[in-house]
Amino acid sequence: MEFDFSPVIEYLPTLLQGVGVTLLIGLAVAVISVLGGQIVAVITLYTRKVVNWPLRFFIWLFMTTPLLLQLYFLYFGLGELILIPAIVVGILGLGFHYMAYNADIFIATIRSVSSGQYEASRSLGFGHLRTLFYVILPQAFYRALPQLSNNMIIMVKDISVLSAIGIGEMVYVSQYAISVTFRPFEFYITIAVIYYLINLMMEAGQTWIERRAAYRR
Amino acid sequence: MDFNLMIEITPLLVKAAWVTVDISARALLFGFIIASVLVTLRTSRIPPVRWFARAYISVVRGTPYFVQLLLVFYGGPAIGLRLDPFTCGVVVGAFNIGAYMSEAIRGAIESVDSGQNEASRSLGFGRLETLRYIVLPQAAGLMIRSVGVLAIILVKNSSLVSIISVIELTYQAQRLIGSTYKPLEVFTLSALMYIVIIYAVMGIVEFCYRRATRYAFL
Repeated sequence: MEFDFSPVIEYLPTLLQGVGVTLLIGLAVAVISVLGGQIVAVITLYTRKVVNWPLRFFIWLFMTTPLLLQLYFLYFGLGELILIPAIVVGILGLGFHYMAYNADIFIATIRSVSSGQYEASRSLGFGHLRTLFYVILPQAFYRALPQLSNNMIIMVKDISVLSAIGIGEMVYVSQYAISVTFRPFEFYITIAVIYYLINLMMEAGQTWIERRAAYRR
Repeated sequence: MDFNLMIEITPLLVKAAWVTVDISARALLFGFIIASVLVTLRTSRIPPVRWFARAYISVVRGTPYFVQLLLVFYGGPAIGLRLDPFTCGVVVGAFNIGAYMSEAIRGAIESVDSGQNEASRSLGFGRLETLRYIVLPQAAGLMIRSVGVLAIILVKNSSLVSIISVIELTYQAQRLIGSTYKPLEVFTLSALMYIVIIYAVMGIVEFCYRRATRYAFL
């Protein structure tokens, strides 16, 4: 069996476009999931049960069901009620999924900031909210960084699943190219290599962030 | 919500859920064997063997499971590797989770204080005996916990196997939607089944953890 990578080179511009879409989705999801996770964690920890129980349920639900099912649910299930574009469903679905995981991390790290910090800040005249925003959350955030970057590395790989609801990222684009050229092996191996490169870069970023976080802690 | 429909399709979904359990259980079993081999290679005294294991783990963890599935199932025939969908799901699942699991097992073994190893060796235990009687019993608790997390990930990942048309829970749900046009009901039911499966896995992990740490002085 001989390999012929010329179709891959021919479709390279299309593939690179897919890579761009993947990276953009990754960025959007990272922002949504980290900010959302932070907000969900704070609400879960500092509000009454009536407010935070639905949120706990939400975290639990997103952590115990598969991502693909969640995406299908949001896309086909909710599509019955309101029509949402696939790209929005993809970004929000992936965003919510990782929001749940990130919220879980933030809850743990906020709890791990010693209560002495809270008391000291209050006795120095900071209010409850100011203590939260200037003292507790920054410390918790730096502690959460290693695990957060870990989650983000896993998340980038899960973007490939979005092809199942027809979002034009790398895998979807290559599936289209394969249906024209009948060269699945060459295209998928190329995708795997691109993902591996992205992953290596993210791992390098992770070590860098971890070093910075250790310094700021 | 159409409850009559939900009751009607339950047997079909339960059957599909069993396929999900089956595929995950087999992948977990073979994955554990692969992971054990990888740990052995990873800690080998011959450098090229170590490098091979490290490279394998890095590549598998660095590429999406989804792409691995597609590559083996659709790309495999190009290099003479023809697998039926179910086998492909098990094989790719096992090789994928094996890489993650080898790191979990290695982490658990390395978490045991090295003084334990040295003390045992100086008392005349051999390398394997030390591993069997001193290190592994102490590493078991952490190992079971982290392998348990991976088992849950494996169950959730098995939904991706629907993409190569194995009739498991997610694929069956899609087929049922194709015939009933009731996505909300079908997906709610299949989500419930995933939750049941995952709770069962969590229960088993908890049971094993309790048994493994029965005699621990913690």
